[in-house]
Amino acid sequence: MRPGSIIYFFREAGKSLKRNRLLSFATITTVAVCILILGFGVLFTINASNFMNHLESDVQIRAFLEQDLTASQISDIGRKIEAIPGVGSNKFISRDEALQQMQKDFGRREYDLKETLGKNPLPHTYMVKVKNPREVSQLAAKIKSMPGVYKVNYGQGTVEKLFKVTRWMRIIGIIFIVLLLVGAVFLIATTIRLAIFARRKEIYLMKLIGSTDWFIRWPFFLEGILLSSLGALISIGILAMAYGSLISKIDNLFFIQLVSDAGTIRNLYLVLLGTGAGLGVVGTWISLNRFLKV
Amino acid sequence: MLVQFYNVSKIYPNGAKALDDISIQIDRGEFVFLMGPSGAGKSTLVKMLFREELPTRGQIFLASRSVVRMKRSDVPKLRRNMGIVFQDFKLLERKTVAENVSFAMEVVGASSKDIRTRVPEVINMVGLKGKENSFPGELSGGEQQRVGIARALSNRPLLLIADEPTGNLDLNTSQEIMELLFDINRKGTTVIMASHARELVRAARKRVIMLQNGRVVDDSPNGESLL
Ligand SMILES: Nc1ncnc2c1ncn2[C@@H]1O[C@H](COP(=O)(O)OP(=O)(O)O)[C@@H](O)[C@H]1O
Ligand SMILES: [Mg+2]
Repeated sequence: MRPGSIIYFFREAGKSLKRNRLLSFATITTVAVCILILGFGVLFTINASNFMNHLESDVQIRAFLEQDLTASQISDIGRKIEAIPGVGSNKFISRDEALQQMQKDFGRREYDLKETLGKNPLPHTYMVKVKNPREVSQLAAKIKSMPGVYKVNYGQGTVEKLFKVTRWMRIIGIIFIVLLLVGAVFLIATTIRLAIFARRKEIYLMKLIGSTDWFIRWPFFLEGILLSSLGALISIGILAMAYGSLISKIDNLFFIQLVSDAGTIRNLYLVLLGTGAGLGVVGTWISLNRFLKV
Repeated sequence: MLVQFYNVSKIYPNGAKALDDISIQIDRGEFVFLMGPSGAGKSTLVKMLFREELPTRGQIFLASRSVVRMKRSDVPKLRRNMGIVFQDFKLLERKTVAENVSFAMEVVGASSKDIRTRVPEVINMVGLKGKENSFPGELSGGEQQRVGIARALSNRPLLLIADEPTGNLDLNTSQEIMELLFDINRKGTTVIMASHARELVRAARKRVIMLQNGRVVDDSPNGESLL
């Protein structure tokens, strides 16, 4: 491409922007609204997913041990559990510790549990965290089959339901975002089509003079990218302010932990900016091709 | 031969039969009229030259290259060999005379040096010196058509195609435009002009291809059939 052509593309894009102020404004607004909704949608999805990860990683296996084991047998079982592939961490809780914990949780200081019960009825326990929460039932079965373990507990049934729910939530989140994107492309293409329609005679003339499709496309692409990036920047600004104040308010109100890691948020904004520019390109492409068929 | 049509027929998607088994040949340097009443198929024939329409049947060659079988990406090259003049001028209202002409050179990627020398040259050629900075709205119909012709000439075409170039002009102005086209033809450019203005065509004493209902009904080298 000759440098003269590049100057021509920018000059044409600039002229068109100046001429079609109303349509430029409409395009910027459309992109801004779309990216804003998309941004909120993605933030919601990220947070929901984060929350679900939390729930899932809380899942752990309690392995209750038989009563009359020697200390070496107990640590033997611990080592065997840790050797199972897929096991993350493993913590031993002795029966005494368990009783103390219970005392702390339920005792109202009026009764001493140990005295009331006479003997400590609680077993030694291993608290096993798994690397992948989805393998929890398999690993629990393996641990249960070990000699010395008389029972395992991981919230059977509830865990499976939780996974079903989180899976559907993730699928719905992705569908939601895809639908938003398709809607945004359609809306932006329609707005850009108006701008192109206003210049259809010029495009027809260029085609008949012998201009290539790319030569005609470039100024429109530049215009589309510029306008939609601007729209995306505006919505990112609004999003950053809104989410920032949400984080500072919610953090000391609820137990919910919002995603606030600076790197993640910055990447999200960059992706939104890219998506905005991309929407401009795709919208221009769709709208323009019809007019190039001469 | 510059232009060759072999058994060309055109049926539009709505079923209208615009051309019916047309075979014609046009040599380099000729000046040819396409004559016939409205609806005879003149515009359809002309549009096939620059491939705005494709024939339903038949073959078309320009300088021995098939226009029909040409790849889509080669169409711009084909069109750069021709200049097109329209009945309604198709000038860009927001551009001056000079800009309308330079636009045509810019969009085919001419160098700015070439544009700087060529634009005044063609504006002179069509007799619009002094009007370079006027806008189309400030010009008479005849002057606007001169801009259209200057634009068509700017890229030094082999072939000038004019579809009813005088259709919107009065008789005197039409004759001036005809003189300009003859002049261009004398300098070596092949000209194909569609028109239904019988008087104008008869006075020219050039080759006339008569179309009626999409068929060639007469082809006379000096317009004898109109006498
Ligand atoms: N785009 C089109 N779609 C359908 N029919 C058309 C189209 N263009 C022309 N026609 C028909 O083809 C015939 C020839 O038209 P045209 O080539 O414009 O004739 P002329 O230029 O001699 O007046 C007419 O019957 C006209 O109605
Ligand atoms: Mg016609």
